[in-house]
Amino acid sequence: MAENCYPAGLHDYASDAEEMERLDEALDETPRGALVVAAIAVALLIVGWLGLYFLVFLPRGTVG
Amino acid sequence: MANHEDAILKSELRWGMIVGAIVAVILGAILYAALAMHINPPSNREYVDPKTLHLSAEFTETNLGTRVDPNGQIVARVIATQFEFVPNCIVLPAERDVTLRLTSPDVIHGILVTGTNVNTMILPGYVSQVHTRFTKTGDLLMPCHEFCGLGHSQMMATVRVVPPEQFNPGPDGRIACGNHR
Repeated sequence: MAENCYPAGLHDYASDAEEMERLDEALDETPRGALVVAAIAVALLIVGWLGLYFLVFLPRGTVG
Repeated sequence: MANHEDAILKSELRWGMIVGAIVAVILGAILYAALAMHINPPSNREYVDPKTLHLSAEFTETNLGTRVDPNGQIVARVIATQFEFVPNCIVLPAERDVTLRLTSPDVIHGILVTGTNVNTMILPGYVSQVHTRFTKTGDLLMPCHEFCGLGHSQMMATVRVVPPEQFNPGPDGRIACGNHR
């Protein structure tokens, strides 16, 4: 166990190599969740916009 | 780390393509509304002297309200003033092209007609003009939607949309709420 000044559990890796490996693992998973959250948010926004466009805006008729 | 950077770059490019597609869809919808459905922001630029509206040819008191011009064009002329519309009720036919012409002698007002896309500001010194076609009949509320003073909340008018066969202007081409029940 490398000696360090961090509290136990925060930086208790055997080596930098192991730390990089765990970082790689974390990065493998992280973007997927972020993309799902972003996709849901954008999908809701677009569905709302298209709903207002087709159900409210167009039926209200011509103007100019 | 290079693998992660590649993956992130790919996901960003993919996301960029999705956003590009969304922008294209929205722009397409706006163009469709403008070109196929004729839904555009009213953009008339026409000047009038707000101090002499009552003496002008068009906005004298006797010329306000709905009138069918000799060329068949249906025009409703309304003055928005603190804190009322003159006249406060106009009759228009459904399913026919109509034109609203409005101006103000005092401060900035605005109108919308509920349930339609009619929505414009009314500025002293300018004539606001809106072309539209009502699809439903009934009394539609036309409130002032631009804060114009203490009586703003009481400032509203009625647009009475009648079936085309009930739209029968007099010999002078005029029709008003008072003679249409």
